[in-house]
Amino acid sequence: MERGLELETVHETEPFEVAWAGEARWYVQFLRPAPGSDIEFRVQISPDGLTWIDHEGIEALTTEAVGLLSIPVTGFGHWLRLRSEQKSGSEAPMLRIYLELKE
Amino acid sequence: MTTPDVASTAADLRDAIRSSDLRLSKFNPLPRILTFDDFNNGPHGWVELGGNYNGRGDLDSMDEHFRDFRPPMLSNQNFFDVGTHGGMTGTYSLKLATRQAPGHTATAIRRLTMSGRGLLQIEAYLAWKGEANLGGGEEANTYGDISWDANSHPTEAQFGAFTVATDLSHDGIRYHNVMRFQNADENGRIIQKWKYPTVAEPTPHERFEGKHDYGRYTDFTAPNPEDWTYLNDERQEACYNEVPTKVNWHYLRFLIDTTTRSNVELQFNNDTYDLRDVPVPPYSEKYESLESLLNFYFSVRTLGPHRNFLFLDSVVISADW
Repeated sequence: MERGLELETVHETEPFEVAWAGEARWYVQFLRPAPGSDIEFRVQISPDGLTWIDHEGIEALTTEAVGLLSIPVTGFGHWLRLRSEQKSGSEAPMLRIYLELKE
Repeated sequence: MTTPDVASTAADLRDAIRSSDLRLSKFNPLPRILTFDDFNNGPHGWVELGGNYNGRGDLDSMDEHFRDFRPPMLSNQNFFDVGTHGGMTGTYSLKLATRQAPGHTATAIRRLTMSGRGLLQIEAYLAWKGEANLGGGEEANTYGDISWDANSHPTEAQFGAFTVATDLSHDGIRYHNVMRFQNADENGRIIQKWKYPTVAEPTPHERFEGKHDYGRYTDFTAPNPEDWTYLNDERQEACYNEVPTKVNWHYLRFLIDTTTRSNVELQFNNDTYDLRDVPVPPYSEKYESLESLLNFYFSVRTLGPHRNFLFLDSVVISADW
């Protein structure tokens, strides 16, 4: 979904239609880590691809900006996106974001 | 029967069988169907056009303007007003979606090779849309040439262009057949004409050799606007259908000849254009690793800060070999 994203405080992935899928999993890889920086990820859903809310069943995940993480998702309806926000630290990480979908 | 009679009978039988097939009867394929995709059970190999990267997979080794063509998605056409619209053939279509960034392009490419030479054709039922907007002030009712009047909708002027094209290579010569529907310009002025490039697409290998280095939202097919020529002066009217959430499917057929490396014909709904004088500029340099390359791609390009969408309900690629 993103390759080489320079995270500038807040980023939302492009709206993605996932109605056909029964399960999903986000992967986020810090291509350029920012040790000591905390990044918060929220899985968001939408009824129309225009208006978004946090997925009610998935807690926001806050992690140090190093390595690779994943977030499993079910019960998401027709649209998905991932919101990333840098909560602390002065160095901006660079991200690769995957969205895996299965029936 | 004589040999011509047998061939004619075989063709008649083939046409009769296809015309009774509910999926194929809306197409007019050449004798051999190479692919049929209705996107109801997957993207069938239509994938984002990706840039070429080095042996380490470094993003910096990719052309900047090839880094972000976006993954196509299976869409059930879910809209804020009507719910799930669905496709023309079943529930799903393939959706190419740009970012909200002027010049951004989304792509879907299908990769094959040739087992013969001759006529080659792609047909599709497609639709193009701007993104619906909810909220804002009075300015949301006007864009470029269009102010909302309960007939025309400003999102129609926010749609830039879609393109159907090839990437072919055989006998050491690589070339692209390209036709683009230019709907509007960067100011939202309605154009609605077909055009084609008069130069070959800049390649990653040429960048590697230091011949170019384009920015992120460059028109990858032909970066210089002066390298595009309109097919004619006639406006190609179509059925956007008033708002961004009504989808009417249009028929497109693009016929080429790989024997002569030339364009032949473009059909868009009831209009058919003779393309035999439309140039197909080949690369002067031989490309390795691409013998018998047979790729078709679709792309959609926004010229303003608005998402543009191209929906493909179904696509058929056929040949006469």
